[in-house]
Amino acid sequence: MSTDRIEREIMIAAPPERVWAVLTEPAHVGIWFGTGSPAEIDLRPGGLMVLDHGEHGSYSTLIVKVDPPRAFSYRWASAYPDAVATPENSTLVEFSLEPAAGGTVLKVVESGFDAIEIPAARETDAGFESHSKGWTGVIEKVGAYAERRDESPLMPVS
Amino acid sequence: MTGVEDVLGALADPTRRDLLERLSVHGFATATTLAEELPITRQAVVQHLAVLDAVGLVHGQRSGRERRFEVRPERLNEAARWMNVLAARWDQRLSTIRRLAEAAD
Repeated sequence: MSTDRIEREIMIAAPPERVWAVLTEPAHVGIWFGTGSPAEIDLRPGGLMVLDHGEHGSYSTLIVKVDPPRAFSYRWASAYPDAVATPENSTLVEFSLEPAAGGTVLKVVESGFDAIEIPAARETDAGFESHSKGWTGVIEKVGAYAERRDESPLMPVS
Repeated sequence: MTGVEDVLGALADPTRRDLLERLSVHGFATATTLAEELPITRQAVVQHLAVLDAVGLVHGQRSGRERRFEVRPERLNEAARWMNVLAARWDQRLSTIRRLAEAAD
């Protein structure tokens, strides 16, 4: 399992054009990605999509790709509210829409966790400390070691 | 007992990450062995191992005149769980998107 990216998908009983509208229209984005108020969206590569997250601040995500109704991506500085997303402070969120029998398969990939530094006290759920850059790679490598160790009866186990 | 933030603080240093990975490869190693592989002194290795030991990422056991260290992967699981939290949030968002898309206008 890679720890640098999250991949999820869902089957939706609606045509890609309809899913695209939900993904990109301010009123909808405000609901699935914000706190309910309409999002501010400049829907073009390089444009900003501003999400109000109430007490957590507002996120200025940077739109990367707009290819209706197939692909939509943006950079999201989830650990840095009130800052504009840059390659240094953000992860890349990529949506892809595939027509399928009876609707659309919507896939999302969020990647680049290993490259960002997560400042203190931002991830309230996890209480993450600053300067965590590079940590996901270690988790992968040590995780692989743990699997080898658990499988091998010859290796001493503490 | 230390928290996830301590684990990540310990991992913030590239030398310590390197040491942890080398320990993963070796299974067990002493500070002397590790220092031979790296452009730093044995004393520096000892200090880094002490930081890793303090947050529970490695475990040292006396063996003759030196301590032999091994990785304790359990502590890293806490950090890995954070990714699961983020993944669960995407599941929630995708469900909301589906509900909105499937709702009649």
